[in-house]
Amino acid sequence: MSEYALDAQTGPDTLEEIQRTLEQAWSEGNVADDTKMCIELAVSEIATNIIEYSGDGKPVRLRMVVDVRPDSVAVNFTDDGHPAPVDLARITMPGEAAESGRGLALAHRVLDELSYSRDPDGNHWTLIRRRSE
Amino acid sequence: MSDFSTRTTGSGVVVVQPTGRLNMVAAPALRKQLNDIVDGGTSRIVVDLSATEFIDSSGLGALIAALKIARNAGGDLRIAAPTQQVCTVLELSNLDRVLRSYASADSAFDE
Repeated sequence: MSEYALDAQTGPDTLEEIQRTLEQAWSEGNVADDTKMCIELAVSEIATNIIEYSGDGKPVRLRMVVDVRPDSVAVNFTDDGHPAPVDLARITMPGEAAESGRGLALAHRVLDELSYSRDPDGNHWTLIRRRSE
Repeated sequence: MSDFSTRTTGSGVVVVQPTGRLNMVAAPALRKQLNDIVDGGTSRIVVDLSATEFIDSSGLGALIAALKIARNAGGDLRIAAPTQQVCTVLELSNLDRVLRSYASADSAFDE
């Protein structure tokens, strides 16, 4: 099992680069389709959050590391933007009419662990999904 | 970004077919395209999701915004032939009832 990493300055191509990195990780380890789908959705939501808000729309330095383990898939994001004003204990799915605000709730719903921390290096997000196979 | 392909059925319903990944990159363009269709006088819209391989909350936001605009204009927005990933995300977000899916784009307004 091994790690796949991406270092990027965030911009219009970042989500595509992230998806390519995930596909490289899927090329090994027989990860089940359901696990892949959950990780891809959660990664898209957290990455979108970082790209849109961490630099207030300006580029930030982003590092993603995908770790395909025997029993789980872990994705770590680090960025050098400003602190994310999130309270992961208070995530709720918005109502039907909302046009935004579902991202973190969806990520939370498909992951076994979602955590956020802040240190001098910047913001750290950890996403873990147990493998279902 | 160029528009997604559209066609008009015999009963005057506009069918839009987004392809690829409906994320923060593609969602604003879809949102604008659907808005422009309603502004152009057609408020019965089907979004054919058979070629949408991935959707996230950005894509859902575009569909909900367009649904509201279409209903305000006296019409509706319906979705057709969603892929497995799209079905799952609709269920996870509790939007499968407000965005009910139909088997095919051409029959989505039959009932």
